[in-house]
Formats: sequence, C-alpha cells, structure tokens
Amino acid sequence: MTDRDDIDILAAEYVLGTLDPAQREAVALRRGSDAELDRAISEWEARLSPLNAHYNAIAPSRDLFAGIRTRIENAAQTASQHVPSIAEFAKLKRRMAAWRAGALGAAAIAASLIVVVLAGDVNSPMQDGQFVAVFHRDDTQPAFVMSVDIETREVTIRPVEATVPEGKTYQLWIVTEETGPKPKSLGLLENISNPTTKQLGGFDPAMLRDATFGISLEPEGGSPTGQPTGPAIHGRLISVAH
Amino acid sequence: MHLAVAMTSTRDLENLLKQSVEGNMDAFERLYNATSAKLFGIVLRILKNRAQSEDALQDIYVRIWQKAGDFEPGRASIITWMATIARNRAIDIVRRQRPEADIEDADIETLIFSDTAFDQMAAADDMRQLEHCLNGLEDDRQQIVKLAYLEGWSRAELADRFAQPVGTIKTWLHRSLRQLKECLGT
Repeated sequence: MTDRDDIDILAAEYVLGTLDPAQREAVALRRGSDAELDRAISEWEARLSPLNAHYNAIAPSRDLFAGIRTRIENAAQTASQHVPSIAEFAKLKRRMAAWRAGALGAAAIAASLIVVVLAGDVNSPMQDGQFVAVFHRDDTQPAFVMSVDIETREVTIRPVEATVPEGKTYQLWIVTEETGPKPKSLGLLENISNPTTKQLGGFDPAMLRDATFGISLEPEGGSPTGQPTGPAIHGRLISVAH
Repeated sequence: MHLAVAMTSTRDLENLLKQSVEGNMDAFERLYNATSAKLFGIVLRILKNRAQSEDALQDIYVRIWQKAGDFEPGRASIITWMATIARNRAIDIVRRQRPEADIEDADIETLIFSDTAFDQMAAADDMRQLEHCLNGLEDDRQQIVKLAYLEGWSRAELADRFAQPVGTIKTWLHRSLRQLKECLGT
C-alpha cells in the first residue's frame, strides 16, 4: 500500500466518521499542513454528501436562535478584548487565501499553522508595537490567537478553538535570526482554556518583529527532545505590514 | 415556522450567507430559519438526544457565522457546506461519548416534516450514481457504510451489531470505500 492510499483511506474514514476521537483530532490538525490530505477530504465529502438527502428535516425548538445570537456576541466580545473582531478574521482569511494563490507560493507556507502578524492596518484597535498572530488549524478555523506587545516584549496566547488530545500538551516555539534555524521553546500552554502570557525579555524587539512563532502538539510535559516533535503545526511568519 | 423553506433557493441562501459575512444578523436569522430543520435532522439522527442536539445546533450556527467568509460557491453547494459543518460537529460529539438516547427512531419519524426543497438541491444525478454504487456492495457492507455515515456509528458499534471483530469491520470499511471510489470514478 502506498502513502497515497493511506492518506486517501484516512480521509475516507474521516468523512465517514469512523475514526476514533484522537485520530479525528489529528486529521483535523494535519489537513491544514497537508494539501493532499485536505484535497482527499474534500473529494470524499463530495463523493458521500449525496447521502445527506437521506436526512429528514426536523424542526428544533422555537427559541434557539436567541441562544445562537448570544453565543455569537459572547464569542465576539471575548475575541475583541485583545484580538481582531470576527469580521476582521474574515478579512485576514481572505488575505491569506490571496497570499497562498499569489507570489509567495506553497513552499513558503509549507507549515500548517499559519502565523499572521498584523501591523495595525485592518482598522484594528491595536496600538503601535502591538502585533497579532492568528494560528490556523486549517483553512478556516483560528485555533489560537497570539498578541505580541513589542514594547513590553510580552506575548499572550488565547485559544479560540483548540482542544487538547488526552496526554498531550501544546508547546510554543520561536525562531529568530538571533537564535538560529532551530526553534527555541517558549514553554508550554498548560491550560488552554485560559490565555497564557509569556515574557520574551531576552529577545531584541527588532528580532521579535521578524520572528516566526509556532505551536506544536507534544507529549505531556513538553517535547522530550527540545525540538518540536508533534504534528507539524508551526508556521513561517508572514508579515502583512503595509 | 419553516414554511418559507420551500420558497428559498440556493441563490437566496448564498445571498443570506454573504450578508452574514458583512455582519448582518437579520440575514443570518433568515438563513437559520431556512436551514435549521435540515441541520437539526442531521444532528438529531446522529445524537438521538434532543437537548444535546439543540445545544450542538447552536454551536453549529456559531461556526457557520464564523466561517461564512470561507464559503466558496464553486466548491460545494451551500447546503452541502452547511451540512458538512453540522455532521462533523455531531460526529465529533458522538465519537467522544455517545449521549444517552432520549428519543427513538420511531419518534424521530413522527417529527419529520416535508421539506422537498432540500432534496431537490441535492444533485439528483450524483445521488443516483452513489446509490447505484452502494447497491454494488454486499448487503451488510452497504449497511455499515450507511450506518456509519448517516447514524454516526463507530467501528466498535458496528462490530457489535454485525458480530465481527473490530479489525474485520475496519477491513470491510476500507474495502467498501475503495470499491465505492472506483465505481464512482471520481
């Protein structure tokens, strides 16, 4: 069996729904970095979706939309405390799609979690020296949002939609010119239901501006090797500064 | 409440989604009114628990609102796109832990109301082709594929039902899926 067959059957079972939770999570993470897997999933969705006609329409309770509105407003409020609004996310996503199609090419964005740094040009409430990075698990859903304050050299990571598989933990990494090509650990994101703040006092502000940040999924307690070992979920920084 | 459904075309739904991207909550509510019964039908059939299905449905529409900017009309129909989001969420929930059923299939049947608009939206040719290919599978293989897709059954649940080791079910699934792909030729 070839790798291609493996990927195809993994995609097929993902769409069918028979993978166990850890496998589902892993596939959902991986499709962001693996164009072949992503394509295979889309193709299987197209193949099997005619079965949706077997689902019958059933009216839910009448008052549900009020709850949806409240959840949307709460999510937007949480996000707007330090990060761009949902509408701004949509703009970011469109830009990312444009870069992907454009000059940068796929190779420049080979990693799965794409890190976007915003230099305050999207009508954002960001002050000078503040940057925001959005970590995407796949093309659509922000998994983490990171704000970087260059002045205080503080990064804050907020989970947007991230879950931790059993026995795993997320680890934050940085690559700068100063530290060389190997990622340097910035520590674990121990409690992903809350924002985590890290002090980057040891880094030069100018370096931070051009740094690449990444998040990887590691065994509990962090990477055993001192380098990212988990699913390839760190990304090359793309600056959108003007 | 959902009588307007039959009058809503794919293009109407796409327009409502587009307005939702711009932050128009009224348009999003109309999109909800036009589509929620179909998505609820998916979630309830998989979860078999009314309270959990309604909770999941609310999450699903929050996701649809958040992802609205990603919809690409050329890739899939809007209703397929929305159904995929709903099914994925329901499968995620049922794979982690199947909720205690509080509704029987027979009761679900009584709740169904006619909603032909959606059925017409599914490309009839695609559906005929898939049914043809499913019919080419042995009876029990066809059943496991449908139970997995439509009801969200796990390999272990299928193994129980068909009195086979889980490994055998996995092999059956893989063979059936490969056979379907070959038959569909896509």
